[in-house]
Amino acid sequence: MLTTLKRALFREFKKAEIRHHELNYLFWECTTRCNLNCRHCGSDCSKDSNYKDMPLEDFLKALDTIESPAENFTVVLTGGEPLLRKDIELCGREIRKRGMRWSMVSNGYLYDKEKHISLLNAGLGALTISIDGLESSHNWLRNNDRSFEKVDIAIGLAASSSRLNFDVVTCVNKRNFQELEEIRDYLIHKGVKSWRLFTIVPIGRAKDDAEMFLTDTQFKALMDFICESRKRNDIDVKFSCEGFVGKYELKVRDSNFFCRAGINIGSILIDGSISACPNIDRSFTQGNIYNDNFFSIWQTKYALFRDRSWTKTGKCAECKDYKDCEGNGFHYWQGEKKDVLVCHNERIEKMTNC
Amino acid sequence: MKRDWKRKIIGGLCLTSIAFVFQACYGTPQDFGNDLLIEGQVTSKNTGLPVKGIKVSVADQEQYTNTDENGKFSFYMEKLSSTRIKFTDVDSTKNGLFSNKDTLIVIKDSILTSRKPKVYLNIELENK
Repeated sequence: MLTTLKRALFREFKKAEIRHHELNYLFWECTTRCNLNCRHCGSDCSKDSNYKDMPLEDFLKALDTIESPAENFTVVLTGGEPLLRKDIELCGREIRKRGMRWSMVSNGYLYDKEKHISLLNAGLGALTISIDGLESSHNWLRNNDRSFEKVDIAIGLAASSSRLNFDVVTCVNKRNFQELEEIRDYLIHKGVKSWRLFTIVPIGRAKDDAEMFLTDTQFKALMDFICESRKRNDIDVKFSCEGFVGKYELKVRDSNFFCRAGINIGSILIDGSISACPNIDRSFTQGNIYNDNFFSIWQTKYALFRDRSWTKTGKCAECKDYKDCEGNGFHYWQGEKKDVLVCHNERIEKMTNC
Repeated sequence: MKRDWKRKIIGGLCLTSIAFVFQACYGTPQDFGNDLLIEGQVTSKNTGLPVKGIKVSVADQEQYTNTDENGKFSFYMEKLSSTRIKFTDVDSTKNGLFSNKDTLIVIKDSILTSRKPKVYLNIELENK
């Protein structure tokens, strides 16, 4: 009864959020260069990207179109690997000068003590670093023999800072699935307070690699692992907001599933495209900072993000949970968009009904 | 404004206290602005000229920076009601020889709660 009421209220809350569509969170794909060649990369980044890094002044021009930014408005620097930019601290300082905050997603390879200090000095406020297993499985996924050694240093530094809102993310796959408990113990030992778990999206390089994807049994076991970990209270473990997980909602996350792409989350991509999360199909691009006023696009476009009734097709068409899920994470609509790429709830229900 | 209140009330009723706190799937946690900007200039007490190459550090923390050719420095640090900032001559005679100095700064509530909390320090170092 209480769960039903909570879900009904949350649906009303979502409607209010959509009407309001306050921009809180802006991804900036500041480079597509990368120093790793990960097997699961969704964006096919490489050392020699076809795109030059976006000049800081181009990004700032777009940022300056935002009228009265929200109180917690944050620019999230992503890539590629943002630390490959030589001017990363300058980027951060310019964002802070405007009364905005900034954060960064990194693979941690270049994050040494000197960089840690210079980023804090430049006002970095939040950081996410990826670790995808213990040494062997992390290095395998990252395609680099020194990757674990480097990320271990980065995690230690970031966890030591009481200033940073820091978390670690892990893409769970067939290789690291058996290591989850050990990874959890390792992170606790490193002083990490928050750990987010993902599954891998079948796009980019990962698409045709079966080792990347959990079986339905493993996926349900992942949900149970997160539930069990959350009861222990020694580290805040959660499932990412990638999809609706039915009976596990509020058991694997602090809040109900709500894909905020295009509602509170926008992005400026490497070529100037205006969209939402960077892993969303590029056909959903709403404009381009080199032709359009960024904030005007945010205020007046994004119709497909804010009214998702078009997703009621394929397996979503007859789904009894559609009102709570509304087509799962937006990034699961790729290509011709005739059906959702992955339905987490379907996987769970399949295993529950076995 | 009316709409914003309605949204907050519904959010509160959802019984999920963190309804307004979120992070994108492949993004970072939100930053709640737990820092303040420390800026300033270091000059020579004897000549009044700016001093380059002075290490400016936060006591008991790993953060530091160095003054530039105008004696200026600028860095963000964790928001604390008081903190000790250390000024250390680390380059020997290269930019002149100066005595080290520690300064305890007490930060007013009005600064800590402002949208862009900032403290400016004018520091004079004595020549050795």
